[in-house]
Amino acid sequence: MTENEYLEAILLQQTLAPGSPELKELQEREEEVKSLLRSKFGTARIREAGSKRKGTMVKASYDLDLTCYFPHDDNSAGETLKEIFEGIEAALREKYVTSPKGSAIRVWDGTGKTDFHIDVVPGRFVDGNDGDVFLYRSSGDKERLKTNLDVHIDHVRDSGVLDAIRLTKLWRERNGGNVKTFALELLVIKLLEKKKNEALSEQLRHVWEQFKEDGENLTIEDPANPSGNDLSELLNDGIRFWLSSTATNTLDAIEQSGWDAVFGEVESDKSQRVEALRRITVATPIRTKPWGNG
Amino acid sequence: MAKPWYREKPKPYEEMRREVEDAYPELRFIDDGNRIILQGWYLLHEGSQVWDRYLIEVTLPTDSPRGFSIVREVGGRIPCIADRHVYDNGVACVALEDAFWFEYPNGLSLLEFLNGPLRSYFASQSLIEMGETEPWPAGEWAHGAEGIFQFYSNALSIKDPLVILDFLKLLERDEVKGHWPCPCKSGEKLRKCHGDSLYKLRSRIPKDVAARSRVRFQKR
Repeated sequence: MTENEYLEAILLQQTLAPGSPELKELQEREEEVKSLLRSKFGTARIREAGSKRKGTMVKASYDLDLTCYFPHDDNSAGETLKEIFEGIEAALREKYVTSPKGSAIRVWDGTGKTDFHIDVVPGRFVDGNDGDVFLYRSSGDKERLKTNLDVHIDHVRDSGVLDAIRLTKLWRERNGGNVKTFALELLVIKLLEKKKNEALSEQLRHVWEQFKEDGENLTIEDPANPSGNDLSELLNDGIRFWLSSTATNTLDAIEQSGWDAVFGEVESDKSQRVEALRRITVATPIRTKPWGNG
Repeated sequence: MAKPWYREKPKPYEEMRREVEDAYPELRFIDDGNRIILQGWYLLHEGSQVWDRYLIEVTLPTDSPRGFSIVREVGGRIPCIADRHVYDNGVACVALEDAFWFEYPNGLSLLEFLNGPLRSYFASQSLIEMGETEPWPAGEWAHGAEGIFQFYSNALSIKDPLVILDFLKLLERDEVKGHWPCPCKSGEKLRKCHGDSLYKLRSRIPKDVAARSRVRFQKR
């Protein structure tokens, strides 16, 4: 198995199949929280905004983000961003356990049955265009930031390096890192800007080499507000050290033991795969005979 | 020129979009102003297990939500050769259009198309890559005009290519009369010979599809 066949197999293992229990749970939770928010805040525009929409879900990391934005002239949830934030948190607290996390409210079901959580991001549209939003910040220097979620999602979805992002997220999970997904996505996209057509293994090596060699100088900017939002707190000294040292260990591990040392072994049973694919070809409800324009 | 159906009927389009995005979260709809394309990873899965995936681009039909979609594998994995059922321009030959309309005269919704013909097509492509023999369980049409001949030969029980060409011309016509002589040269009137078969073909296969097949067949 080549390096890239191995990485493709890892990606398949990490892909959430349509109708899988994980995705069903995600959809059920999403609907539950959405309907609670709708019942309390009828004018809010509630949308899914996490890895599902960006196309970067991996089984190891697929929590849900929901935005809850109010029209620019709507004060029904509060006059200030802080009041909106607190009002939404209070509403969510009636049913869930919550805690503020930057611009988001982190929500757990509180039963202890699952560690699954949802991040709800309250905000208010800047104007009537339903694009740019102001978000409240529960921590940090500034109390509000201006951003645009659609721009974030498009920036990631159209990056051309989704597989590299997925595997870097998996690498973070496997190594217990706490670098924010948004920061990791922006870093990978920036570092691979001129390497989109390279093989996945080369892309990952390049990302880790940059983390290792240039960890102190890594910078990211908000694609929706490049000069207005300071994202430096997402890449503080601790995060930089973690990126650099873990990338060094990863590159050494590949050198010494191969890629299995990074993402684990791949179960490779050809006959099992052939049988499954044969079942798929005959189980489809509607089949056609292919033709060729010879 | 008529507006594409998805511009005329935005609500059914949104419903279709939601239905497809729920079933295929790794595919997304892109509106480039002239057409709507579905793009992303197409997953071959069984339960929770994903066995393979293909990077695809599906151009939605403009005439109807149940029309014939144009599919391309854009990851560069399948060679563009007739033996792999791919046109020179990268379009996947998922079906012979005449046979498709004959079998499914009401067409297929996009979701039915993704769950059916496309699923079987890509699973077979994976089997070919793995060196498996007989990867097409439903069989396959011969390439080019030969495949068109096979289909109409089966449908009309006729072996003579020139006679099939005459039938193809009748499929294109606005009107066909039962008292006309049957093209099979039996000497019978159409209504007493191949009339029923011809009527069935005419009622199911769109005229433009039959016309394209006739041109291709004529070059044979």
